[in-house]
Amino acid sequence: MKGKRIENGDLIKTLDVYLKETRGILFAFDVENKNYKTKMFKELPKDIRFLNPIFYVNSSIYLRRVFSESIKIVAILRPCETRAYVELTKLSQIESRSVICGSFDCFGTVSSKKEDFSFPYDPRELKVFLESSGLVRYACQVCGHKEGIFGDFGLRYDKEWNLWFIPYTERGRVLFDLIPSEETEIPFELEVKEKKDETTFKTSLSEFRKDFERCIMCLNCKNMCPVCFCVDCLFNTLEYLPKGDELINTILRCGNTELPKNVEIYHFIRMYHVSQTCVGCGSCEEACPQSIPLTKYFKGISGRLQGIFDYLPGKNFDEKIPYTTFKEDELPYAED
Amino acid sequence: MESGINIVGFACSYCAYKASEMAGSLRLKYPEGVVIVQVPCSSRVDPALIIKTLFEGADAVFVAGCHPGDCHFIKGNYYTRRRIYALKEMLDAFSMKGRLKLFWISASEARRFVEKVQEMYSQIKKEKDEG
Ligand code: SF4
Ligand code: SF4
Ligand code: SF4
Repeated sequence: MKGKRIENGDLIKTLDVYLKETRGILFAFDVENKNYKTKMFKELPKDIRFLNPIFYVNSSIYLRRVFSESIKIVAILRPCETRAYVELTKLSQIESRSVICGSFDCFGTVSSKKEDFSFPYDPRELKVFLESSGLVRYACQVCGHKEGIFGDFGLRYDKEWNLWFIPYTERGRVLFDLIPSEETEIPFELEVKEKKDETTFKTSLSEFRKDFERCIMCLNCKNMCPVCFCVDCLFNTLEYLPKGDELINTILRCGNTELPKNVEIYHFIRMYHVSQTCVGCGSCEEACPQSIPLTKYFKGISGRLQGIFDYLPGKNFDEKIPYTTFKEDELPYAED
Repeated sequence: MESGINIVGFACSYCAYKASEMAGSLRLKYPEGVVIVQVPCSSRVDPALIIKTLFEGADAVFVAGCHPGDCHFIKGNYYTRRRIYALKEMLDAFSMKGRLKLFWISASEARRFVEKVQEMYSQIKKEKDEG
Protein backbone atom coordinates (compact mmCIF):
# COMPACT_ATOMS: atom_id res chain seq x y z
CA MET A 1 0.00 0.00 0.00
CA LYS A 2 1.24 3.48 -0.90
CA GLY A 3 1.24 6.57 1.22
CA LYS A 4 3.14 9.74 2.00
CA ARG A 5 5.22 10.37 5.06
CA ILE A 6 4.14 13.46 6.87
CA GLU A 7 7.08 15.68 7.72
CA ASN A 8 6.95 18.37 10.35
CA GLY A 9 3.87 20.51 9.95
CA ASP A 10 2.97 19.13 6.50
CA LEU A 11 -0.46 18.03 7.56
CA ILE A 12 -1.35 21.40 9.00
CA LYS A 13 -0.01 23.17 5.92
CA THR A 14 -1.95 20.90 3.58
CA LEU A 15 -5.17 21.40 5.49
CA ASP A 16 -4.62 25.11 5.53
CA VAL A 17 -4.11 25.27 1.77
CA TYR A 18 -7.12 23.08 1.08
CA LEU A 19 -9.46 24.95 3.40
CA LYS A 20 -8.46 28.30 1.95
CA GLU A 21 -8.80 27.09 -1.64
CA THR A 22 -12.20 25.54 -1.19
CA ARG A 23 -13.62 27.81 1.46
CA GLY A 24 -13.78 24.58 3.42
CA ILE A 25 -14.55 23.77 7.00
CA LEU A 26 -12.49 21.64 9.34
CA PHE A 27 -14.02 19.28 11.82
CA ALA A 28 -11.53 18.66 14.62
CA PHE A 29 -10.72 19.29 18.27
CA ASP A 30 -8.99 21.94 20.22
CA VAL A 31 -8.22 22.20 23.87
CA GLU A 32 -10.04 24.54 26.16
CA ASN A 33 -9.61 24.35 29.94
CA LYS A 34 -8.13 20.88 29.59
CA ASN A 35 -11.26 19.83 27.72
CA TYR A 36 -10.98 18.58 24.19
CA LYS A 37 -13.87 20.15 22.37
CA THR A 38 -15.15 18.93 19.05
CA LYS A 39 -15.66 21.95 16.86
CA MET A 40 -16.10 22.98 13.27
CA PHE A 41 -13.59 25.61 12.23
CA LYS A 42 -13.55 28.05 9.38
CA GLU A 43 -9.84 28.62 9.86
CA LEU A 44 -7.25 26.26 11.20
CA PRO A 45 -7.07 26.78 14.97
CA LYS A 46 -3.74 27.37 16.67
CA ASP A 47 -3.92 24.49 19.10
CA ILE A 48 -5.31 21.84 16.82
CA ARG A 49 -5.29 18.19 17.93
CA PHE A 50 -6.08 15.10 15.98
CA LEU A 51 -6.04 12.53 18.73
CA ASN A 52 -8.80 13.22 21.18
CA PRO A 53 -8.34 11.14 24.33
CA ILE A 54 -11.71 12.12 25.82
CA PHE A 55 -14.87 10.56 24.49
CA TYR A 56 -18.11 12.51 24.72
CA VAL A 57 -20.10 11.26 21.78
CA ASN A 58 -19.48 9.64 18.42
CA SER A 59 -18.91 12.84 16.42
CA SER A 60 -20.23 11.41 13.18
CA ILE A 61 -23.72 12.31 14.39
CA TYR A 62 -22.87 15.93 13.63
CA LEU A 63 -21.98 15.07 10.07
CA ARG A 64 -25.62 14.07 9.65
CA ARG A 65 -26.50 17.69 10.07
CA VAL A 66 -24.24 19.40 7.58
CA PHE A 67 -24.61 19.52 3.88
CA SER A 68 -23.45 21.94 1.28
CA GLU A 69 -22.71 21.60 -2.41
CA SER A 70 -20.09 24.34 -2.44
CA ILE A 71 -18.41 24.12 0.96
CA LYS A 72 -16.24 21.12 1.67
CA ILE A 73 -15.90 19.62 5.12
CA VAL A 74 -12.72 17.86 6.17
CA ALA A 75 -13.12 15.63 9.19
CA ILE A 76 -10.37 13.74 10.96
CA LEU A 77 -12.00 11.38 13.38
CA ARG A 78 -11.45 8.20 15.38
CA PRO A 79 -11.82 4.89 13.61
CA CYS A 80 -15.20 4.15 15.24
CA GLU A 81 -16.49 7.57 14.26
CA THR A 82 -15.24 7.21 10.71
CA ARG A 83 -16.86 3.79 10.44
CA ALA A 84 -20.18 5.30 11.51
CA TYR A 85 -19.66 7.97 8.84
CA VAL A 86 -19.27 5.24 6.22
CA GLU A 87 -22.40 3.44 7.39
CA LEU A 88 -24.39 6.68 7.46
CA THR A 89 -23.23 7.42 3.93
CA LYS A 90 -24.58 4.06 2.81
CA LEU A 91 -27.85 4.88 4.52
CA SER A 92 -28.10 8.28 2.76
CA GLN A 93 -27.84 10.12 6.06
CA ILE A 94 -24.59 11.88 5.15
CA GLU A 95 -24.03 13.43 1.79
CA SER A 96 -20.46 12.34 1.21
CA ARG A 97 -20.02 14.59 -1.82
CA SER A 98 -19.33 17.44 0.56
CA VAL A 99 -17.32 15.51 3.16
CA ILE A 100 -13.79 14.13 3.23
CA CYS A 101 -13.53 12.07 6.37
CA GLY A 102 -10.49 10.11 7.42
CA SER A 103 -9.44 8.12 10.45
CA PHE A 104 -6.52 8.49 12.80
CA ASP A 105 -4.88 5.56 14.59
CA CYS A 106 -6.54 5.41 18.00
CA PHE A 107 -5.05 4.49 21.39
CA GLY A 108 -8.35 4.34 23.22
CA THR A 109 -10.22 7.01 25.11
CA VAL A 110 -11.29 8.05 28.58
CA SER A 111 -14.90 8.74 29.48
CA SER A 112 -15.90 12.40 29.62
CA LYS A 113 -17.49 11.65 32.97
CA LYS A 114 -14.06 11.22 34.56
CA GLU A 115 -12.38 14.12 36.26
CA ASP A 116 -10.12 16.39 34.27
CA PHE A 117 -6.68 15.15 33.30
CA SER A 118 -3.83 16.62 31.42
CA PHE A 119 -2.93 14.37 28.56
CA PRO A 120 0.52 14.37 27.02
CA TYR A 121 0.63 15.79 23.51
CA ASP A 122 3.20 13.43 22.07
CA PRO A 123 1.46 10.34 20.60
CA ARG A 124 3.98 7.91 22.07
CA GLU A 125 3.58 9.36 25.53
CA LEU A 126 -0.18 9.52 25.13
CA LYS A 127 -0.30 5.83 24.31
CA VAL A 128 1.78 4.92 27.34
CA PHE A 129 -0.26 7.24 29.52
CA LEU A 130 -3.55 5.70 28.42
CA GLU A 131 -2.31 2.14 28.72
CA SER A 132 -1.03 2.61 32.22
CA SER A 133 -3.84 4.84 33.49
CA GLY A 134 -6.50 2.16 33.88
CA LEU A 135 -9.00 4.79 32.81
CA VAL A 136 -9.71 3.61 29.29
CA ARG A 137 -13.41 3.06 28.57
CA TYR A 138 -14.75 -0.48 28.33
CA ALA A 139 -15.67 0.08 24.65
CA CYS A 140 -12.04 0.94 23.86
CA GLN A 141 -10.64 -1.92 25.91
CA VAL A 142 -12.54 -4.42 23.77
CA CYS A 143 -12.23 -2.44 20.53
CA GLY A 144 -10.43 -4.42 17.84
CA HIS A 145 -10.54 -1.74 15.16
CA LYS A 146 -8.28 1.02 16.38
CA GLU A 147 -6.45 1.26 13.07
CA GLY A 148 -6.83 4.30 10.87
CA ILE A 149 -7.90 2.23 7.89
CA PHE A 150 -11.42 3.58 7.48
CA GLY A 151 -13.07 6.33 5.47
CA ASP A 152 -11.52 8.44 2.75
CA PHE A 153 -7.98 8.42 4.10
CA GLY A 154 -5.99 7.18 7.06
CA LEU A 155 -3.37 8.75 9.30
CA ARG A 156 -1.19 6.05 10.72
CA TYR A 157 1.94 5.66 12.81
CA ASP A 158 4.76 3.31 11.94
CA LYS A 159 7.05 1.66 14.49
CA GLU A 160 9.36 4.70 14.53
CA TRP A 161 6.37 6.96 15.19
CA ASN A 162 6.49 8.57 11.77
CA LEU A 163 3.05 9.63 10.61
CA TRP A 164 1.74 8.39 7.27
CA PHE A 165 -1.09 9.68 5.13
CA ILE A 166 -2.79 6.91 3.15
CA PRO A 167 -5.60 7.68 0.69
CA TYR A 168 -8.44 5.15 0.38
CA THR A 169 -10.90 6.91 -1.93
CA GLU A 170 -10.91 9.54 -4.67
CA ARG A 171 -11.93 12.14 -2.10
CA GLY A 172 -9.02 11.17 0.12
CA ARG A 173 -6.67 11.53 -2.84
CA VAL A 174 -7.62 15.18 -3.24
CA LEU A 175 -5.91 15.96 0.08
CA PHE A 176 -3.19 13.43 -0.53
CA ASP A 177 -2.09 15.18 -3.72
CA LEU A 178 -1.52 18.40 -1.79
CA ILE A 179 1.01 16.83 0.57
CA PRO A 180 4.52 17.82 -0.56
CA SER A 181 6.45 14.58 0.14
CA GLU A 182 6.95 11.70 -2.32
CA GLU A 183 4.49 8.83 -2.57
CA THR A 184 6.17 5.65 -1.32
CA GLU A 185 5.37 2.20 -0.09
CA ILE A 186 4.29 2.40 3.57
CA PRO A 187 6.22 0.35 6.14
CA PHE A 188 4.93 -3.14 6.70
CA GLU A 189 4.80 -2.88 10.49
CA LEU A 190 2.55 -0.22 11.93
CA GLU A 191 1.93 0.72 15.52
CA VAL A 192 -1.77 -0.10 15.88
CA LYS A 193 -3.05 -3.54 14.94
CA GLU A 194 -6.40 -5.12 14.25
CA LYS A 195 -8.08 -7.61 16.56
CA LYS A 196 -10.94 -9.89 15.53
CA ASP A 197 -14.35 -9.19 17.01
CA GLU A 198 -15.82 -11.61 19.50
CA THR A 199 -18.66 -13.49 17.80
CA THR A 200 -19.80 -15.78 20.59
CA PHE A 201 -21.48 -13.39 23.03
CA LYS A 202 -23.80 -15.28 25.34
CA THR A 203 -25.93 -14.08 28.22
CA SER A 204 -29.43 -14.69 29.55
CA LEU A 205 -32.64 -12.78 29.96
CA SER A 206 -32.25 -12.74 33.73
CA GLU A 207 -28.74 -11.32 33.49
CA PHE A 208 -30.03 -8.69 31.08
CA ARG A 209 -32.84 -7.79 33.47
CA LYS A 210 -30.38 -7.41 36.32
CA ASP A 211 -28.09 -5.14 34.30
CA PHE A 212 -30.96 -3.00 33.01
CA GLU A 213 -32.85 -2.81 36.29
CA ARG A 214 -31.98 0.86 36.73
CA CYS A 215 -32.92 1.92 33.19
CA ILE A 216 -35.30 4.87 33.27
CA MET A 217 -36.16 4.80 29.55
CA CYS A 218 -34.81 8.26 28.95
CA LEU A 219 -33.82 7.16 25.42
CA ASN A 220 -30.46 8.96 25.67
CA CYS A 221 -28.73 5.85 24.39
CA LYS A 222 -30.74 6.00 21.20
CA ASN A 223 -30.32 9.74 20.76
CA MET A 224 -26.54 9.61 21.03
CA CYS A 225 -26.03 6.49 18.92
CA PRO A 226 -24.60 7.45 15.54
CA VAL A 227 -26.39 4.70 13.64
CA CYS A 228 -29.77 5.17 15.33
CA PHE A 229 -30.84 7.92 13.01
CA CYS A 230 -34.49 7.41 12.10
CA VAL A 231 -36.41 10.67 12.15
CA ASP A 232 -39.55 8.61 12.58
CA CYS A 233 -38.09 6.30 15.20
CA LEU A 234 -40.86 4.25 16.66
CA PHE A 235 -39.80 5.20 20.15
CA ASN A 236 -40.39 8.85 19.37
CA THR A 237 -44.04 7.97 19.10
CA LEU A 238 -46.18 6.54 21.84
CA GLU A 239 -46.72 3.40 19.80
CA TYR A 240 -44.50 1.22 21.96
CA LEU A 241 -45.42 2.72 25.29
CA PRO A 242 -48.54 1.70 27.19
CA LYS A 243 -51.41 3.95 26.35
CA GLY A 244 -55.08 4.47 27.10
CA ASP A 245 -56.28 2.07 29.76
CA GLU A 246 -53.56 -0.48 29.05
CA LEU A 247 -51.66 0.22 32.27
CA ILE A 248 -54.80 0.27 34.40
CA ASN A 249 -55.97 -3.00 32.86
CA THR A 250 -52.61 -4.62 33.49
CA ILE A 251 -52.67 -3.56 37.12
CA LEU A 252 -56.24 -4.81 37.59
CA ARG A 253 -55.40 -8.10 35.88
CA CYS A 254 -52.00 -8.78 37.41
CA GLY A 255 -52.06 -6.91 40.69
CA ASN A 256 -49.18 -4.62 39.82
CA THR A 257 -47.00 -3.50 36.99
CA GLU A 258 -43.39 -2.53 36.78
CA LEU A 259 -42.37 0.97 35.83
CA PRO A 260 -41.02 1.99 33.47
CA LYS A 261 -42.65 -0.55 31.21
CA ASN A 262 -41.29 -2.09 28.03
CA VAL A 263 -37.59 -1.72 28.89
CA GLU A 264 -36.88 -5.09 27.26
CA ILE A 265 -38.89 -4.27 24.15
CA TYR A 266 -37.05 -1.01 23.70
CA HIS A 267 -33.55 -2.39 24.08
CA PHE A 268 -34.18 -5.59 22.15
CA ILE A 269 -35.65 -3.72 19.20
CA ARG A 270 -32.85 -1.17 19.22
CA MET A 271 -30.26 -3.90 19.54
CA TYR A 272 -31.67 -5.66 16.52
CA HIS A 273 -31.96 -2.47 14.52
CA VAL A 274 -28.29 -1.56 14.99
CA SER A 275 -27.06 -5.14 14.87
CA GLN A 276 -25.32 -4.79 11.50
CA THR A 277 -24.27 -1.15 11.74
CA CYS A 278 -23.14 -0.84 15.39
CA VAL A 279 -19.49 0.18 15.43
CA GLY A 280 -19.00 -0.57 19.12
CA CYS A 281 -18.10 3.01 19.99
CA GLY A 282 -19.87 3.00 23.36
CA SER A 283 -21.49 6.37 22.71
CA CYS A 284 -24.72 4.89 24.07
CA GLU A 285 -23.08 3.94 27.34
CA GLU A 286 -21.39 7.32 27.61
CA ALA A 287 -24.80 8.99 27.29
CA CYS A 288 -26.51 6.81 29.88
CA PRO A 289 -27.23 8.62 33.15
CA GLN A 290 -27.72 5.28 34.92
CA SER A 291 -24.34 3.73 34.06
CA ILE A 292 -25.90 0.74 32.36
CA PRO A 293 -23.33 -1.51 30.63
CA LEU A 294 -24.84 -0.99 27.20
CA THR A 295 -21.67 -1.64 25.21
CA LYS A 296 -21.36 -5.15 26.58
CA TYR A 297 -24.77 -6.03 25.12
CA PHE A 298 -24.84 -3.93 21.96
CA LYS A 299 -21.31 -4.73 20.88
CA GLY A 300 -21.73 -8.34 21.98
CA ILE A 301 -24.92 -8.89 20.00
CA SER A 302 -23.77 -6.96 16.96
CA GLY A 303 -20.44 -8.79 16.90
CA ARG A 304 -22.35 -12.04 16.83
CA LEU A 305 -24.89 -10.98 14.21
CA GLN A 306 -22.29 -9.32 11.97
CA GLY A 307 -20.33 -12.55 12.23
CA ILE A 308 -23.12 -14.44 10.42
CA PHE A 309 -22.56 -12.36 7.30
CA ASP A 310 -18.88 -11.69 7.87
CA TYR A 311 -19.68 -7.99 7.83
CA LEU A 312 -17.59 -5.22 9.37
CA PRO A 313 -19.55 -1.97 9.41
CA GLY A 314 -17.63 0.94 8.00
CA LYS A 315 -15.04 -1.18 6.21
CA ASN A 316 -15.94 0.00 2.74
CA PHE A 317 -18.46 2.20 1.01
CA ASP A 318 -19.62 -0.37 -1.53
CA GLU A 319 -20.47 -3.29 0.69
CA LYS A 320 -24.22 -3.47 1.28
CA ILE A 321 -25.67 -3.73 4.78
CA PRO A 322 -26.59 -7.42 5.17
CA TYR A 323 -30.31 -6.96 5.82
CA THR A 324 -30.71 -4.98 2.60
CA THR A 325 -29.38 -7.69 0.36
CA PHE A 326 -29.14 -11.48 0.07
CA LYS A 327 -27.57 -14.39 -1.73
CA GLU A 328 -29.84 -16.94 -3.33
CA ASP A 329 -27.96 -19.87 -1.95
CA GLU A 330 -27.13 -19.33 1.71
CA LEU A 331 -28.13 -20.13 5.30
CA PRO A 332 -29.51 -23.63 4.61
CA TYR A 333 -29.87 -24.11 8.37
CA ALA A 334 -32.09 -21.02 8.81
CA GLU A 335 -35.27 -23.07 8.69
CA ASP A 336 -36.49 -25.01 11.73
CA MET B 1 -56.37 -20.75 26.60
CA GLU B 2 -56.95 -24.08 28.22
CA SER B 3 -53.32 -25.18 28.08
CA GLY B 4 -51.99 -21.77 28.97
CA ILE B 5 -49.70 -21.79 25.96
CA ASN B 6 -49.73 -18.91 23.52
CA ILE B 7 -48.03 -19.22 20.19
CA VAL B 8 -48.35 -16.50 17.57
CA GLY B 9 -47.61 -17.40 13.97
CA PHE B 10 -47.12 -14.95 11.13
CA ALA B 11 -48.07 -16.73 7.93
CA CYS B 12 -47.69 -15.53 4.37
CA SER B 13 -51.07 -15.36 2.64
CA TYR B 14 -49.76 -17.00 -0.53
CA CYS B 15 -48.47 -20.19 1.04
CA ALA B 16 -48.41 -20.97 4.75
CA TYR B 17 -51.73 -19.25 5.41
CA LYS B 18 -53.29 -21.18 2.51
CA ALA B 19 -51.83 -24.35 3.99
CA SER B 20 -53.44 -23.57 7.32
CA GLU B 21 -56.81 -23.06 5.61
CA MET B 22 -56.42 -26.33 3.78
CA ALA B 23 -55.56 -28.02 7.08
CA GLY B 24 -58.92 -26.75 8.32
CA SER B 25 -60.85 -28.13 5.38
CA LEU B 26 -59.05 -31.47 5.75
CA ARG B 27 -60.15 -31.43 9.41
CA LEU B 28 -56.54 -31.69 10.56
CA LYS B 29 -56.24 -30.42 14.11
CA TYR B 30 -53.55 -28.27 15.58
CA PRO B 31 -53.45 -27.20 19.20
CA GLU B 32 -55.53 -24.42 20.62
CA GLY B 33 -53.46 -21.51 21.73
CA VAL B 34 -51.86 -21.10 18.30
CA VAL B 35 -52.99 -17.82 16.78
CA ILE B 36 -52.19 -17.13 13.17
CA VAL B 37 -51.71 -13.68 11.73
CA GLN B 38 -52.00 -13.39 7.99
CA VAL B 39 -49.33 -11.25 6.35
CA PRO B 40 -48.91 -10.38 2.67
CA CYS B 41 -45.35 -11.75 2.63
CA SER B 42 -43.06 -13.25 5.26
CA SER B 43 -40.71 -10.31 4.69
CA ARG B 44 -43.48 -8.05 6.00
CA VAL B 45 -42.83 -9.43 9.48
CA ASP B 46 -40.79 -6.70 11.11
CA PRO B 47 -38.50 -8.21 13.76
CA ALA B 48 -39.77 -5.44 16.04
CA LEU B 49 -43.22 -7.04 15.88
CA ILE B 50 -41.77 -10.38 16.92
CA ILE B 51 -39.91 -8.85 19.85
CA LYS B 52 -43.04 -7.01 20.96
CA THR B 53 -45.11 -10.17 20.69
CA LEU B 54 -42.61 -12.16 22.75
CA PHE B 55 -42.43 -9.61 25.55
CA GLU B 56 -46.14 -8.97 25.68
CA GLY B 57 -47.10 -12.49 26.60
CA ALA B 58 -46.51 -14.93 23.73
CA ASP B 59 -44.55 -18.04 24.69
CA ALA B 60 -43.23 -18.36 21.20
CA VAL B 61 -43.53 -16.99 17.68
CA PHE B 62 -43.14 -18.56 14.29
CA VAL B 63 -42.78 -17.03 10.87
CA ALA B 64 -43.91 -19.12 7.92
CA GLY B 65 -43.24 -18.24 4.31
CA CYS B 66 -42.88 -19.82 0.91
CA HIS B 67 -39.83 -21.97 0.21
CA PRO B 68 -36.86 -19.86 -0.95
CA GLY B 69 -37.19 -19.38 -4.67
CA ASP B 70 -41.01 -19.54 -4.58
CA CYS B 71 -41.82 -16.10 -3.24
CA HIS B 72 -44.87 -14.47 -4.80
CA PHE B 73 -42.91 -11.23 -4.80
CA ILE B 74 -39.84 -12.96 -6.26
CA LYS B 75 -37.35 -12.24 -3.49
CA GLY B 76 -39.20 -11.32 -0.30
CA ASN B 77 -38.37 -14.50 1.56
CA TYR B 78 -34.65 -14.18 0.85
CA TYR B 79 -34.74 -11.10 3.05
CA THR B 80 -36.88 -12.95 5.58
CA ARG B 81 -34.26 -15.67 5.76
CA ARG B 82 -31.46 -13.24 6.65
CA ARG B 83 -33.48 -11.16 9.08
CA ILE B 84 -35.22 -13.93 10.96
CA TYR B 85 -32.10 -16.04 11.13
CA ALA B 86 -30.24 -13.08 12.64
CA LEU B 87 -33.05 -12.48 15.13
CA LYS B 88 -32.93 -16.14 16.14
CA GLU B 89 -29.21 -15.78 16.69
CA MET B 90 -29.84 -12.74 18.87
CA LEU B 91 -32.45 -14.57 20.95
CA ASP B 92 -30.03 -17.46 21.30
CA ALA B 93 -27.51 -15.06 22.83
CA PHE B 94 -30.13 -14.38 25.51
CA SER B 95 -30.71 -18.10 25.99
CA MET B 96 -34.15 -17.72 24.41
CA LYS B 97 -33.57 -20.19 21.63
CA GLY B 98 -36.66 -22.04 20.48
CA ARG B 99 -38.94 -19.10 21.13
CA LEU B 100 -38.76 -18.09 17.49
CA LYS B 101 -39.00 -20.46 14.59
CA LEU B 102 -38.87 -20.10 10.84
CA PHE B 103 -40.79 -22.48 8.55
CA TRP B 104 -40.99 -22.78 4.79
CA ILE B 105 -44.42 -24.14 3.88
CA SER B 106 -46.02 -24.13 0.45
CA ALA B 107 -49.77 -23.78 -0.11
CA SER B 108 -50.16 -27.51 -0.64
CA GLU B 109 -48.30 -28.60 2.48
CA ALA B 110 -51.21 -28.66 4.94
CA ARG B 111 -49.92 -31.75 6.68
CA ARG B 112 -46.40 -30.38 7.00
CA PHE B 113 -47.84 -27.19 8.44
CA VAL B 114 -49.75 -29.07 11.13
CA GLU B 115 -46.73 -31.25 11.96
CA LYS B 116 -44.44 -28.26 12.33
CA VAL B 117 -46.87 -26.38 14.55
CA GLN B 118 -47.63 -29.48 16.62
CA GLU B 119 -43.94 -30.17 17.15
CA MET B 120 -43.27 -26.59 18.18
CA TYR B 121 -46.21 -26.64 20.56
CA SER B 122 -45.07 -29.83 22.29
CA GLN B 123 -41.58 -28.48 22.71
CA ILE B 124 -42.76 -25.19 24.23
CA LYS B 125 -45.20 -27.05 26.48
CA LYS B 126 -42.45 -29.37 27.67
CA GLU B 127 -40.13 -26.45 28.42
CA LYS B 128 -42.89 -24.60 30.23
CA ASP B 129 -43.89 -27.64 32.30
CA GLU B 130 -40.28 -28.15 33.30
CA GLY B 131 -40.21 -24.52 34.37
S1 SF4 C 1 -14.03 2.39 20.40
FE1 SF4 C 1 -12.07 1.91 19.37
S2 SF4 C 1 -11.84 3.42 17.77
FE2 SF4 C 1 -13.44 4.17 19.18
S3 SF4 C 1 -12.39 5.51 20.61
FE3 SF4 C 1 -12.40 3.47 21.52
S4 SF4 C 1 -10.49 2.47 20.84
FE4 SF4 C 1 -10.82 4.27 19.57
S1 SF4 D 1 -25.28 0.96 19.83
FE1 SF4 D 1 -23.82 2.02 21.17
S2 SF4 D 1 -21.86 1.11 20.62
FE2 SF4 D 1 -23.25 0.62 18.93
S3 SF4 D 1 -22.97 2.27 17.44
FE3 SF4 D 1 -24.67 2.86 18.79
S4 SF4 D 1 -23.72 4.12 20.37
FE4 SF4 D 1 -22.06 2.98 19.37
S1 SF4 E 1 -29.61 5.94 28.42
FE1 SF4 E 1 -29.57 4.42 30.08
S2 SF4 E 1 -31.33 4.91 31.36
FE2 SF4 E 1 -31.64 5.99 29.41
S3 SF4 E 1 -32.88 4.54 28.19
FE3 SF4 E 1 -30.73 4.13 27.68
S4 SF4 E 1 -30.13 2.48 29.11
FE4 SF4 E 1 -32.04 3.38 29.89
